[in-house]
Order: sequence, then structure tokens, then C-alpha cells
Amino acid sequence: MPIGEIGAFLLFLVIVFIIGNLWFHFVEAILRQIKKLFTRHKKPPAWHPLPPDKED
Amino acid sequence: MGFFSKLFKGPEIDMEKSNANSKKMRALFNQVVENGDNYRLIFGYTEDVSRFNYGFVHGSKTKIGNLIVGWNESSQTIVVVPTVPDLSGCGDPTYYRRSEILKAYRNKYPTDAFIIYPDKKGYIGINAYDWLEDEKLYVYVSQEDELAAFTDFFINRFATK
Repeated sequence: MPIGEIGAFLLFLVIVFIIGNLWFHFVEAILRQIKKLFTRHKKPPAWHPLPPDKED
Repeated sequence: MGFFSKLFKGPEIDMEKSNANSKKMRALFNQVVENGDNYRLIFGYTEDVSRFNYGFVHGSKTKIGNLIVGWNESSQTIVVVPTVPDLSGCGDPTYYRRSEILKAYRNKYPTDAFIIYPDKKGYIGINAYDWLEDEKLYVYVSQEDELAAFTDFFINRFATK
């Protein structure tokens, strides 16, 4: 197989990978927005920050 | 010689960082748990694996939840406090008293997690290791002795079967 064809095939795989990634993040973003619509009235869980160090 | 011995030794634990994180874990735990000093602590984590299929893209996603796990031998209680890898804060504690839980056992496959069923509706699987290098995902703490003590407590005094 000539180097040009191998290069073209690798380029094709890279493009498929990039499109797949973009598609994944696109669908994830839509699902996140839909989830947010249903949970916006829900109280966020309690969170306690780390107390300041006593030695400071 | 020195270079190669260092190269083959593998990753070394930064004990200063580990000790600092142990102190932070204790401070967070004591902040949210009454009489927190009566509990011994280890770091554990939960893994939530979900599959997705977005048309031509499909695979699985893993969500890691960091936990501070405290246990009290005399009251046979395990307390789980959710936290984050940098230990900047923590959530509310959940208590698992042996007298109140449905069942508890050490898993064998796919991971040797500590499984607790508080009731029929749900369960928690706590994974714990001596030390995990990835600071972005897990709390950086070395806990060989504490993990051995927790494992002994869980298997011999907390597990229900």
C-alpha cells in the first residue's frame, strides 16, 4: 500500500474521531440542558467547605 | 546506578502531601460528624458506570465519587461523607449502622468493593486502595494500615454474611 493511501486512511480515522467527539459532546450538552429543566427547582445538596487551618 | 535504580523503583509516595490530606480528611469529617474523633478514617470512592448510545457514537461513562469513610468498632457503624479530590469541602454524612442495614458483604467480582445495602431500594459500593496516584480523580493519601484495619473490621464485624 502506498504511503499516500495509508496517510489518507489515517486522516480519515482522525476525522471520524473528531466528528465522533463533537457529536458526543453535542448530545451530552443537550441532555444536560434537558436535565437542568427538570431539576432547576431541586435544592442543591448541602456542601461544607474545609474549615481554615487553626495554625494559620 | 542511582539513576537506573530510581527508574525501576516505580512511583514514590509523597508522604508530606499524604499526611496533609489525612489531616484535611479528619477536619472535614469532624466538621460534619458528631464525635468524629471516635471514628477511624480511610479514603474510598464509588464508581458509577453507565452505557450510552448516541447513534454512531456509543460507549460507557464512568463517574467517580470520592468518599471519606469513617468507622467505629464499638458501635459497629460506618459513616460515609462525600468529598472531592482536593478536599476543599464535603457533603452531608450517611450513617450505616450494622443493626439497621439490610446486608453488607465484600464483593469479589468485578472489584473487591465493600458493598452495603441500607435497604432493598439501593446500595453503596465502596472501593478502597492503599494509594492511588491520580490526584485529579482521587484523594492523594497513603493508607495501607488503615485500609487493613477497615478490611478486618468490615469482614469480621460488619459484614452480614
